[in-house]
Amino acid sequence: MTDSNPAKWSRRRVLATAASGVALAAATGLPMPAIAQSRKLTYWGGLIFSDDANKLLSDTITAWGAANGVETEVVMINQNETTQKVSAAVSSNTMPDAMDTGLGLLRLLGRQNVFSDVGELYKKIGDAQGGWFTGPDTATDLTADGGVARIGIPFGVNGNLLLRRKDLLEAAGFTEAPKTWDELKMQAEAVNKAPVSGLGLALSNVGDANLQVAILQSYGGRIADDAGKTVTLDTPETREWLAWVKDAWDKKLFPAGNTTWDGAGDNQAYLSGQAAFIANTGSVGIAAKKDDMELFEASAFSPLPGGPKGIVSPIDVQLRAITKASPLQAEAMALLEHLSSPEFMNAYFNVAIYGPVLADQEKLPAFDGTNTILVGLLGLAKNGTAPAYPDVNNAAFADFGSNFIIPKLAQRVVVDGWDFDRAIAEAQAQGQAIYDKY
Amino acid sequence: MSVAADTIPAKPRRRLPGNVRIKAFAYLLVAPAILLICGLVAYPFLFAIWVSFTDMVVGSVGNFVGFKNFEYLAGTATFYSAIWNTIVIVLVSDVLKLGIGLGLALLVHQNLPGRGIFRSFLMLPWAMPAFVAFLTWRVLYQPIGGGINLILTQTGLYPEVVDFLGSRSTAMGSVIVASVWRGFPFWFISILAALQSVPKELYEAAIVDGASTWQRFWNVTIPSLMPVIIVTTLLSSIWTANGFEHVWLLTAGGPSDATMVFPVLAYYGMQTQRIGEAAAVSVYMLPVLGILVIFATSLMMRREE
Repeated sequence: MTDSNPAKWSRRRVLATAASGVALAAATGLPMPAIAQSRKLTYWGGLIFSDDANKLLSDTITAWGAANGVETEVVMINQNETTQKVSAAVSSNTMPDAMDTGLGLLRLLGRQNVFSDVGELYKKIGDAQGGWFTGPDTATDLTADGGVARIGIPFGVNGNLLLRRKDLLEAAGFTEAPKTWDELKMQAEAVNKAPVSGLGLALSNVGDANLQVAILQSYGGRIADDAGKTVTLDTPETREWLAWVKDAWDKKLFPAGNTTWDGAGDNQAYLSGQAAFIANTGSVGIAAKKDDMELFEASAFSPLPGGPKGIVSPIDVQLRAITKASPLQAEAMALLEHLSSPEFMNAYFNVAIYGPVLADQEKLPAFDGTNTILVGLLGLAKNGTAPAYPDVNNAAFADFGSNFIIPKLAQRVVVDGWDFDRAIAEAQAQGQAIYDKY
Repeated sequence: MSVAADTIPAKPRRRLPGNVRIKAFAYLLVAPAILLICGLVAYPFLFAIWVSFTDMVVGSVGNFVGFKNFEYLAGTATFYSAIWNTIVIVLVSDVLKLGIGLGLALLVHQNLPGRGIFRSFLMLPWAMPAFVAFLTWRVLYQPIGGGINLILTQTGLYPEVVDFLGSRSTAMGSVIVASVWRGFPFWFISILAALQSVPKELYEAAIVDGASTWQRFWNVTIPSLMPVIIVTTLLSSIWTANGFEHVWLLTAGGPSDATMVFPVLAYYGMQTQRIGEAAAVSVYMLPVLGILVIFATSLMMRREE
């Protein structure tokens, strides 16, 4: 009687049932790759300084999805966190179907075979809109990396423009933008009076400070040889550039604190009226236009000055890419084509801080000359130099930049008081150690 | 059939001995906790060690490269700066936090009016989010418009504007001051709690023996506080050595490498997308921190016993 009672729950049975329940719950709750869970097209957009641009991108993708019967999800990613998020997503197989990316990350992931070949779409868009500008076309051709040539569709060019306080400079007799770095220093010195510092350039361990690489190159200096293997910092040209930095430092042209600035240091210095010149992508102009129209109207944009060996004004290219693992390849291709349409891009350029990538985009109303920032970015798109030029744009160069070897070289001289030879020797050794890894 | 079934004797169920069953049941009960610890602590910890021996970059699992990452790091000047700076920050911060925490705890331990409010007030720096606290300090240190420079110049104490964070001679001190400000309340509250548990009889006996105030402090208070001071020192050392935000938000390791510490160096490794190297920086810290952790844990367990 006792044994046959089915309602009797022994301790063993309770445990077995509980264990089964836990196992079942665990099994059903295991994270599955996002792309396997639904047919939703997920897009990771890169957050930029302009809320209007972010909203426009998100709304456009959503509207496109609704019109084409594709369920979409747009996730806007802080671009400072893209690397970490992508790293985790690749490891856990939860990459989005398509995403915005910078050129550096695209190249890196391209070597891991993460993105789809978009060569046909690239050609189609180029043919329809007057062809691609040479700068972005060359910069995004990954043939040299040994894989597929085109794994991203460029949508915007950015890079540094020179932003200056024309009200102060005109009062000091300078009506034209400086054409050379020496001229820039001379103009900066003329208006360098507290609380305004002449040169609002970062010399800290931050991406903005890598502008010094371009200045070094414009003086004829090179990071590495033509093979992209041997670091070549120990040259007279490097010393010439260092002399330029040291002289500006000794004349107290840099704002105090610029050796520890974060990425917003130069922005804040200019917007608070503490710098006469900064090199910036245009975000400061947008911020000034929004919050301080007086400052905006007192400002002017111009291309970066040149050195004895010409102008080095590297462009960076923003692209859209499709994840190879996505089951929605056709849909993602159609979306990227839609996002390259003149209608969308005209609206986007008006609120974003990117220059054009296609020849016909120059004719868009956005570039009619009324927006001085976009005029500057158009010039950058047409005349800017390829990333790393005249150096070889390889992984070692990117790693070299990420380790801020050139800003640190400048810091050794101006902060630590090292002589040029000692500072260059350290930078040369550190740089070579980086290049030797590749 | 029913007759036959009734006549077959039931097969006796084999049962484990009682003590084994109890042990098995106990293990079963703690299994979820062990799984949780393995998943959230052991796996990431061991994985980080493994990654440090690979050339993993973003998007790839990486290949085993032996000690290559460690050799590369050991060949950079910044690595040695990070070692030295981490030692300096930990040692100087701990000494200052001990002095301030002990002094304030002794003060608040007295029967003063409003001491309850004062105690709460002293805990404010610790309660404030680190992000807010250190950004506030960054603003205070600003050469132009920064509160400290304004006070110095306006009062005539120092006529020149000081670039606290941008100068090698002042950057480390500035980071330490901000770090101590944020961290001393932990010392204060730990020491205050220990002070309150010192038996009054010890002081009474010392007074009867004719001990002076200094002798009572040195021979009664300090020995009674010592276990707490040791544990607090160890915990604070671990937190300070692992601390990221105080350096990152104030100087990002600069100027030059004047304030570079291990966590910031590891973060730079992440920024270069070379995860193997970044992990190697963290793993370099493991032996020292491991010893501190084991020492602190054993001390705390001994105290509990």
